[in-house]
Amino acid sequence: MKIEGEYSFDGPREALWELVRDPEVIATCLPGTQSVQKVSDTEYAGEITLRIGPLSGAFAGKLFVTDEDPPVSCTLTVEGDGKIGFMKGVGNIELAEQGEQTTLMRYAGEVQVGGKIASVGQRLFDTVSKGMIKQGLGKLNELLRARAAPE
Amino acid sequence: MTKKLIGERVLRNEDPRLLTGQAQFVDDVQIPGLLHAAFLRSDWAHGRLVSLDVTKARERAGVVAVFTAEDMGEDWEPGPPLVSPPPTAKDVVFYSRRQVPLVKDKVRHAGEAIAVVIAESRYIAEDAVEDILVEIEPLEAVVDMERALEADSPLVHDDLESNLAAQLFQKKGDYEAARKEADLVVKRRIVIDRGAAAAMENRGIVADWDEKSQFLTVWDTTQAPISIRNGLAARLDLSENQVRVIAPFIGGGFGPKMMMFYAEEMVIPWVAKKLNRPVKWIEDRRENFYATTQERGQIHDVEIALSEDGHILGLKDMFLHDTGAYDPYGLTIPLNTQCHAMGPYDVENFASEVRVVFTNKTIVTPVRGAGRPQGIYIIERMLDIAAKELGIDPVEIRKRNLIPPEAFPYEHGIIDQAFAPLILDSGNYLPVLQKALEMIGYDDFVKEEQPRLRSQGKCVGIGIAPFIESTGVGPYEGARVTVESSGKIFVATGVGTQGQGHFTTFAQVVAEQLGVAVEDVRIVTGDTAEFHWGTGTFASRGAVVAGNAIHAASTVVRHKVLELASKVLETPEEELELEDGMVRVADIPRQSISLGELAALANPLRGAVEPGTEPGLEATAYFGPQYGATAFGTHAMILEIDPETMMIEIKRYVAVEDCGTILNPLILEGQIHGGVSLGIGNAYYEKLHFDDQGQLLNASFADYLLPSATDMPRIEVGHLKTRSPLNELGTKGVGEAGTIPVPALFAQALENALGDRQVEILESPLSPNRLSELLQGENAE
Repeated sequence: MKIEGEYSFDGPREALWELVRDPEVIATCLPGTQSVQKVSDTEYAGEITLRIGPLSGAFAGKLFVTDEDPPVSCTLTVEGDGKIGFMKGVGNIELAEQGEQTTLMRYAGEVQVGGKIASVGQRLFDTVSKGMIKQGLGKLNELLRARAAPE
Repeated sequence: MTKKLIGERVLRNEDPRLLTGQAQFVDDVQIPGLLHAAFLRSDWAHGRLVSLDVTKARERAGVVAVFTAEDMGEDWEPGPPLVSPPPTAKDVVFYSRRQVPLVKDKVRHAGEAIAVVIAESRYIAEDAVEDILVEIEPLEAVVDMERALEADSPLVHDDLESNLAAQLFQKKGDYEAARKEADLVVKRRIVIDRGAAAAMENRGIVADWDEKSQFLTVWDTTQAPISIRNGLAARLDLSENQVRVIAPFIGGGFGPKMMMFYAEEMVIPWVAKKLNRPVKWIEDRRENFYATTQERGQIHDVEIALSEDGHILGLKDMFLHDTGAYDPYGLTIPLNTQCHAMGPYDVENFASEVRVVFTNKTIVTPVRGAGRPQGIYIIERMLDIAAKELGIDPVEIRKRNLIPPEAFPYEHGIIDQAFAPLILDSGNYLPVLQKALEMIGYDDFVKEEQPRLRSQGKCVGIGIAPFIESTGVGPYEGARVTVESSGKIFVATGVGTQGQGHFTTFAQVVAEQLGVAVEDVRIVTGDTAEFHWGTGTFASRGAVVAGNAIHAASTVVRHKVLELASKVLETPEEELELEDGMVRVADIPRQSISLGELAALANPLRGAVEPGTEPGLEATAYFGPQYGATAFGTHAMILEIDPETMMIEIKRYVAVEDCGTILNPLILEGQIHGGVSLGIGNAYYEKLHFDDQGQLLNASFADYLLPSATDMPRIEVGHLKTRSPLNELGTKGVGEAGTIPVPALFAQALENALGDRQVEILESPLSPNRLSELLQGENAE
């Protein structure tokens, strides 16, 4: 399944980049995230609970950051599996400055799922993942606004 | 003469029990101390099993045992080949790779069983499955058949050089020479995809080992209880007489339950014996989508050569057949496809090559139709296209090519699914086509109705598709018929029943011979304790092969009855009548004796039985046909398409069948109705969607669309009878007939309805969505 989109953030690119590269922030933003541990600067391990229609279950997974070009772009690779199947994804994010206080994030990637999520949840997976991304980016923007706000 | 019962519309003997919930199915079996099984199945379609840790599952309260391939030790071995591999002949390649009880090294399709948990309840077993830690190193999945045969494709079976499972070339005449003479050569690629059998009842198995009597009883939703009994005895090192397999009432077989041995069929009895505890496993629907066999995936490159007057000069069909991860069922399906690719037509020159391909998908074995719908689809599609090109009416081009009645038995010159010469035993094809045309009002529709409806903006079309169905193949079936001292008749046969109405049709055959009421004949099918010999319910053969064995046994019993009655009544046999459970002297009805009394006399408690005679009024007989009987028919339909949504409404559906002697028209019509409903599903609803990594994306009835009752048309069935010369009753099979022509018929009717939009349908199954895409493709050009 392809995931593609863009999101306009209300804050400077550098500040957004810092947030994106902070595992604590990711853990806060991505719905269902139970934990994120930093394994190295470019590798994180974590656990997330997914709910897709009739299915729900915990996923243990890893996130790798490669091709990093701060504060412009990076490649994210996700691998995870759990009781309801497995998931593998590769995606790119790109941050473009649009004035001082606006940053546009473009993201594109491909996710492959297997097991119960594929066989039973396929029809809903698209909607669920889009919902999660939207919710996550919204939360990220809130954090960015809070940081960027004058003290 | 005894009352005629064969051919009567007798209501089904079994229905009161079925309709009031009194019939026993596998899941109804309850045994004290029964344990329940759940399987860990692979999420990946292709991958190496790196590690498997069942410690935590074993520790869960209520779990009795967990077994992996390692735990099976030397008892772990792949299933036996279901049909014998093809004879080694020139140009025949066949690599036999059979399914395994539990994955040992490599996962070859999503849903393949890796471990089994045995627990006090299914709930606990399912929870414990989630406790198992399994690590699979994923490998690129082999999904697309053409990609699978490329040199750099990953391999489903590492020990083979490629994913080619089998290759077979067949020819008759000289296609290339015929092609040179042709006025028209049409070449197309036709793609047919997979569907599920989707029986109402999933698979299930209960195994009970009694250590004290050293006896194994197995209840199994199998179509072949005797073969399962024999196989289990061999695998478990028991005598066949230490194993009883019961195939009780089954909620639909449709072919996949003929497959043996499924992993679960190997594992559950082994576990029961190992633990000395009864064990039950009932398949859930999601498992059914992965672990129960499927069918139909083929890619054909077809070429047909014709003269300008529409006569077929030759047909060439080179195709790929997807067998999934293993090929236990040999070449049955692709051979059926080859044997039906010429349909009911007189084709002198034929060349066909099949290449069977291993893929990382669920195993393929016959599903109602078993390769035949694909063969019929090809020839009917090619004829439709040729008719258009030549400007000949689609009905006319078919009439010009039908095999004429005087040509039977018609020897095709190729081999059939039993590697025997393909011979069409008997037939009279034109009257069946004519009757279908009359019943649907073809001329009237085409000349008046269709133009009138089109002028109102309605998108209506008609289709008409003749077909053949090879049925009633050997090797044999048998039966034992006994007159009991109550005067009732007991019959046992080896075939199993999955809803075909055997308890009625078989009873009619017996009742007609023995002059009793149909409801006084008690039939037992599919219990190896009752009958020791047989092969199974497949290839539309129950009524033909078991039916004739039962007829033969009944005939012998009738003779015994009359012989004994003749002595008792002191009247020559010719003057005796057998009716209403009594033997009467024809002219003196009061001089009579009941069957029950005769049965008691035939089994005396004192005195002496004459040397050379047997006690009781009982006989066992077998029937094995020389070769299969070929039934035939023509289906016709009128449908309307909603041009916005591409949803269809079937306005009329006519099925004309000729399956020789009809045992019971009511049951025959039921078989046709059921078959047509699967055909409609195959044509326009049902398709298994696999992604490029072998993940099945619609493994639930929320996503896999089955036609429902509201999608089903009223089906008008017409009958003609051309007796088969191959058996005493003159019967041919009909179990799969309803399904076979439907996708071809649909394609024709859809094209006809879409009229000048000129879409050419070269695939099956279709769907409203897919049809829209095809039309948009055409518009874009």
